[in-house]
Amino acid sequence: MSARVERAMIAEFGNPDALSDAARSVCNEGFRAIDALTPCPVEGLEETLGLKQSPIRWPMLIAGVGAAAFAYWLEWWSSVFAYPIDSGGRPLHSWPVLLLVPFEVGVLFAGLAGFIALLVLCGLPRLNHPLFDWDAVERSTDDRYFLLMAAPENENDNDRLRRLLSDARALRIRELSA
Amino acid sequence: MAAGAAALAAGCKRPDEEILANVTLEELPYVKIPEGLVPGVIQRYATALTLAGYGRGALVTSSEGRPIKVEGNPRHPASLGATDVFAQAEILALYDPDRSQAIRVAGEISDWPAFEQALGEHLAARVSGRGQGLRLLSGRIVSPTLLDQIEGLLKAYPNMRWHTFEPTEASDGETANVVYGKPLTLRPRFGDADVVAAFDADPLGCGPDQVRFGRELVDRRKRDRASARFYSVESGMTLTGAFADHRLAAHPDAIEAMVAALAAALGAPIARPELPQDHARFLDVVTKDLQARAGRGLVLLGPALSKNARALGVWINDRLGAPENAFDVDPRQAAAGTLPELADDIHAGKVEMLVILDSNPVATAPGDVEFGALVQRLPFRVHLGLYYDETAAASTWHLPMPHPLESWSDIASPEGVASIVQPLIRPLHESYSAHRLLAALAGEPPLSDYDRIRSTWRSRWGERNFDDRWRRALVEGVIADTGLEPAAKPAAKFPGWTPTAPQGGMSAIFRIDPSVFDGRFANNAWLQECPQPFSKAVWGNAVEMALADAKRLGIKEGDEVEVSVGKRALSGPMRLSNGIAPGVVQLSLGYGRAHAGSIGDGVGFSVAVLRTAASPWIARNVALRRIGPNGHLSPSTAGLFALPGKAEELAPEVEVGAAKASPPQPMASFFPPRPTPIGDPYAWAMVIDTGACIGCNACVVACQSENNVPSIGPDEVGWGRIMHWLRIDVYDHGSAPEPRPVFQPVPCMHCEAAPCEPVCPVEASVHDHEGLNVQVYNRCIGTRFCQSNCPYKVRRFNWFGYAAGQEYKNLGNALVKAANNPDVSVRDRGVMEKCTYCVQRISRARRLAERETRLIAEGEVVTACQAACPTRAIHFGNLVDPKSSVSELRRDPAHYVLLDQLHTRPRTTYLARLRNSNPELGGSA
Amino acid sequence: MTVVSAFDRAPALEDVPVLPRAIDDRAITDIVCEPLLRPAGKGWWIAFIICSAGTLALIYGIHLLFTVGIGIFGNNTSVVWGFPIANYVWWIGLGNAGTLISSLLLLTRQSWRATISRFAEAMTLFAVSIAGLFPIFHLGRPLYFYWIAPYPATMHVWPQWRSALVWDFWAVLSYLTFSVVFWYVGVLPDLATARDRSRGAWQKVYGVAALGWRGSARHWRHYHRLQISLAALATPLVCSVHSIVGLDFAASLMPGWREPIFPPYFVVGAMYSGFALVVLLAATITYGLGLQALITARHFEAMAKIILMASIVMGLSYLSEYFAAWYGGHPEDRGMVAFEFTGAYWQVYAGMLFCNVIAPQILWFPRMRASLAVIIGVSFAVLVGMWLERILIVWNTLSHTFMPSMDRVFFPTWWDWLFLFGPMFFFAWLFLLFCRVAPVVPMFEARELRHKEAEG
Repeated sequence: MSARVERAMIAEFGNPDALSDAARSVCNEGFRAIDALTPCPVEGLEETLGLKQSPIRWPMLIAGVGAAAFAYWLEWWSSVFAYPIDSGGRPLHSWPVLLLVPFEVGVLFAGLAGFIALLVLCGLPRLNHPLFDWDAVERSTDDRYFLLMAAPENENDNDRLRRLLSDARALRIRELSA
Repeated sequence: MAAGAAALAAGCKRPDEEILANVTLEELPYVKIPEGLVPGVIQRYATALTLAGYGRGALVTSSEGRPIKVEGNPRHPASLGATDVFAQAEILALYDPDRSQAIRVAGEISDWPAFEQALGEHLAARVSGRGQGLRLLSGRIVSPTLLDQIEGLLKAYPNMRWHTFEPTEASDGETANVVYGKPLTLRPRFGDADVVAAFDADPLGCGPDQVRFGRELVDRRKRDRASARFYSVESGMTLTGAFADHRLAAHPDAIEAMVAALAAALGAPIARPELPQDHARFLDVVTKDLQARAGRGLVLLGPALSKNARALGVWINDRLGAPENAFDVDPRQAAAGTLPELADDIHAGKVEMLVILDSNPVATAPGDVEFGALVQRLPFRVHLGLYYDETAAASTWHLPMPHPLESWSDIASPEGVASIVQPLIRPLHESYSAHRLLAALAGEPPLSDYDRIRSTWRSRWGERNFDDRWRRALVEGVIADTGLEPAAKPAAKFPGWTPTAPQGGMSAIFRIDPSVFDGRFANNAWLQECPQPFSKAVWGNAVEMALADAKRLGIKEGDEVEVSVGKRALSGPMRLSNGIAPGVVQLSLGYGRAHAGSIGDGVGFSVAVLRTAASPWIARNVALRRIGPNGHLSPSTAGLFALPGKAEELAPEVEVGAAKASPPQPMASFFPPRPTPIGDPYAWAMVIDTGACIGCNACVVACQSENNVPSIGPDEVGWGRIMHWLRIDVYDHGSAPEPRPVFQPVPCMHCEAAPCEPVCPVEASVHDHEGLNVQVYNRCIGTRFCQSNCPYKVRRFNWFGYAAGQEYKNLGNALVKAANNPDVSVRDRGVMEKCTYCVQRISRARRLAERETRLIAEGEVVTACQAACPTRAIHFGNLVDPKSSVSELRRDPAHYVLLDQLHTRPRTTYLARLRNSNPELGGSA
Repeated sequence: MTVVSAFDRAPALEDVPVLPRAIDDRAITDIVCEPLLRPAGKGWWIAFIICSAGTLALIYGIHLLFTVGIGIFGNNTSVVWGFPIANYVWWIGLGNAGTLISSLLLLTRQSWRATISRFAEAMTLFAVSIAGLFPIFHLGRPLYFYWIAPYPATMHVWPQWRSALVWDFWAVLSYLTFSVVFWYVGVLPDLATARDRSRGAWQKVYGVAALGWRGSARHWRHYHRLQISLAALATPLVCSVHSIVGLDFAASLMPGWREPIFPPYFVVGAMYSGFALVVLLAATITYGLGLQALITARHFEAMAKIILMASIVMGLSYLSEYFAAWYGGHPEDRGMVAFEFTGAYWQVYAGMLFCNVIAPQILWFPRMRASLAVIIGVSFAVLVGMWLERILIVWNTLSHTFMPSMDRVFFPTWWDWLFLFGPMFFFAWLFLLFCRVAPVVPMFEARELRHKEAEG
């Protein structure tokens, strides 16, 4: 996670709408919503949490184009330079037929790059995580929607936040320290 | 296997006696012996191979002491540098593991001393000093030494009798006798003939004269096509009929009537018989054409016709002043008895001992002779032969005979030109030559064959420079100033004419099989798998008849049918065959062998039972009966569906004078056009003259022998698989009843824009800089994309290890492998292969040329198919050289490219078949 | 948990939502995870044993193939290609549908696709893997198949890049690998669910497989974008793959093959047979695993419509083939069309036309589209028909050559049949295992779908 915080507050919700509403109101009140754990993507949550668009397409583009270029070079080198063999009287550099392999290879490497980028960007694989210590969090892959916030230092802010959350139909609220 | 390997290890040595390689007269070394044992150095030796008793000259290639290839001997009149299928296949015959390898008495292995003793005892006990009851049976014998020996034998045993039986004999001496009052052998001079009319005759059919006659006929056509015309009236479908400009299918009886009508037209004192309208029309045209060419017209009569009709033919030729030579028959041969006479004597109990020389009458004798049963009556019967065959099994003693490539002898051509039979290799197995057997019979002291042959010729030449003449004979393969002089013909007397009474039922005509001859080659896999000229059937024969008759009799192709004359009957599968005359069934000799060997046993059915001594070539009053649906028709390598209109496109015919040219339009392409040839000193190309191809298959087997192409057996062929690199397609420009076939040999086209190459993922099929489309066997992974994209379908795939561990029957034997050409790699399972233009011969020529730092000259590279072709229909050479034969022929108006519209730019191209139709018959006949 | 079976209801399906209202997040998790947690039932074991037997038979066949040689197949000198090629094309085609569902339908916002995409993708993986075996089985020297790959070979020759087989190699390799990635990315969140649902050893297995996924919003944004991007790449990839398979034939000069229509026509055909198989599998797992709540009549109806559409396109492809032959005017091409209808295989061709063009027309009727039995029947016909089409493409052209003397008819051997049916058992075998270990329906997508439908 981006910002280090000593103490975090977790609110548990029963459905995505409740979660997004809560997140919105919390942020409006000036509190810092850090992250959310949800069993499925929740529309609009990224904006509320102020997350930027994922840069994941760049590595894919670079890997794809690079692999395709290499493939074409390999074809060209092997058929024109390394082994200039007469095949059916066709030119050594029969460019139209050399286009297919680079396409296939390009797509393949774009896909692989995407997957690797996902792991890197998400810091995965990470089989253990502080959040997993809390049993209830298990349902974040099932039917519960969790909102993580930096717990305010002073008491009354803390209380205000708790009130906000319970107003926002939070089922449970819990603080845990990292 | 082990036995074969042992024989091979022991056998692959050159003979002890001096044998001489064939070289040109100029460099003929009188004293120096060319060294033949330098590894890789190919040495060719002149010798002669026999067929039906006559010799055909051959140059046999030997590699490290192993004979591996037969080529023709240009100096020999029966070879003229070419060969027939059988000569090609002798290599495989030499290494056949099924050859007899031991003396046997009643089937048990014995030895020579035991035989000599038994022979002596029997001679003493049964044969009075004058040879009473002793008989010698052989095929035709023209070997000077053998004839001398037999003559000597007859002197020693005055009452002994010599009988000859040649299953393929046409006995023409007899007919000439009727007309000229003395036995004469009449032989056509096609070179001098303008118009030839064949009446059920097949001069181009297989036999000792096929090569000679084929060359003469085609050369005559090449000299001046417009004045050469060939008519054929025949009952079966023959190569001659395919060669003819006009062909008519007719029943032998009808043909005899036509012959009589022709005789009448030429002034014979007989009434012109009534002819059917179309026959009359045909005959009138023929008559006119013959009369128009005084002294240049010739008629030929086939053996199936009555003796009377054939005599008429002799008379007609005499009347026409036909270009033919008459030769006196050797009195010694004329004196020999026949098989029926022998049979009668056995019946009469006049025979005690029978010695059979290299002949298999039990399998080949006419059915009415019932020789198999008859011979059993004799207490002492000796058989000498290559195989432990039917006759061997029926004999008390069997002696293994050496193959012609293993033993010394001499032989003569049909016109008496003698050759020394020179061995290239020591006998692979224990064997005894006819010379030795006859010597033993005569009780002469043993003499090696070598010395015996030399003594024969010493007696003819005298001592004076004998060795030079001997060496010369060995080197050249023919013996100078031998050969018969044409004899003067006495005045001809008209033989008279009594028409054969019209017969009911059908007639069966017997033909010599183009693949196994009379059965003596039945154990030769190359020949068994050599496609029949028209049906392309392999591995078996069939009862062949025309569609009309089959319909009438309610028989479908493949049905099992019984063919019977009275009590004698045979049964076999029926095959439809265009061009066979109505009322005629065609049967092939040579199949249904019981003791041929592992290859030939039980292939097809024997037809000997229907032949009679009186009429061996035709059986009348034949009854046909459908037995059942599945006659196990032998597989065919030809296609399954006929495509209309293909003949015109793929194998066009051109009338003399007319021209045919179709320049291909350039095709849109991403790629720049490519020059042809590519700028190398060589651009190999082949031109095949379909007009010159007589369909004899010599090229097919020659290619198989040269390139180690495996035979795969009937089951594989039945699956639609073949391995021949060169196939002969036959296209029909006529109709079902009157076919007009054109033969088209199809090797690899070696396309400049080869469709097979770009589709190969591993660069196994690539082009070389001299324009060869080469197949790199060790790169090939067997995707078979090349063959599926080859419009000519010339590629062959090893579905199994046909030559690599999964051979058919005995073909995996180590001994058979000795027949392989060491310059050609044997292909593995799962690999694609195809015609290479005999690249090994090209590279041999290149090595030679480079050693002498010069370019390969025209004619230096001769492909195997080209070398074998009797009519020189195949031309090979360098396109870069504008004066090369291929360059010349490519400018010929009749030149065409197969599937030109595909823009594959083949290096193999064709000349359309030229026809010289008689306008009065139109294109129809 | 309420399970609503869709098929006891009257047609008019368009107005019903894909997922019944009664379903909530929890129910989805329960329905999907339940089969993974309980031991396998009797039916599963029976099926598994049968499929194992079939697979063993196939293995024996492969042993024979490699030791005796490919002569055991019915191929001949002219028809050098046979069942393996047809099977290859057929299986690749089956594979395509999975990717199309999860990519093309994703891009085109076909919400109903959500619940069927997972096993459809699994189907793709298995089908493509099996397809990839056939080009090896069909080789004369299978042990050297890797010579098609570019590596510094001792023979000092590289692949011949003009060959469609080399394109094939790369297409299949890329497609298979890409599909694995795509599938794994898709299953990742559900593996996390399975991890949190299961206990004991399986929890550790799923835990490792899930890579520690915890549904963080920061992850979802990368995840979501990656999924869209992969889908965007997968669509052209899958089309190119079957186009290249089409080029195996089209990049030749043989009549019946040299047709520009082939690539697109192969893609449609692939989708066609693929959807047919998806229908069969969907029906199987819906009732086998009790997923009627997630895979409903709507799905079958939608797939029926796609099959109907595809059948029409196939019909048009055939027509365009005839037209091109007539309009092009080459006697060989015209002869080829004539041969298709009157030649050695005309009965097969007629059967093919019936299965691919005639039979599916029944789906014009809403009542028929509402009947699972009918849809299954049609799908089966389509699968048969598409295989017949593949084998006929090979047979007709190779049997009807330029050279009449080389025309041959193909007669299959027992081994041909073994290599046709054996892989089907192997496929089912793999699929049975898949149903036991992986969530067959993407739960997180089902939840999304449900929330969308709740709003709208």
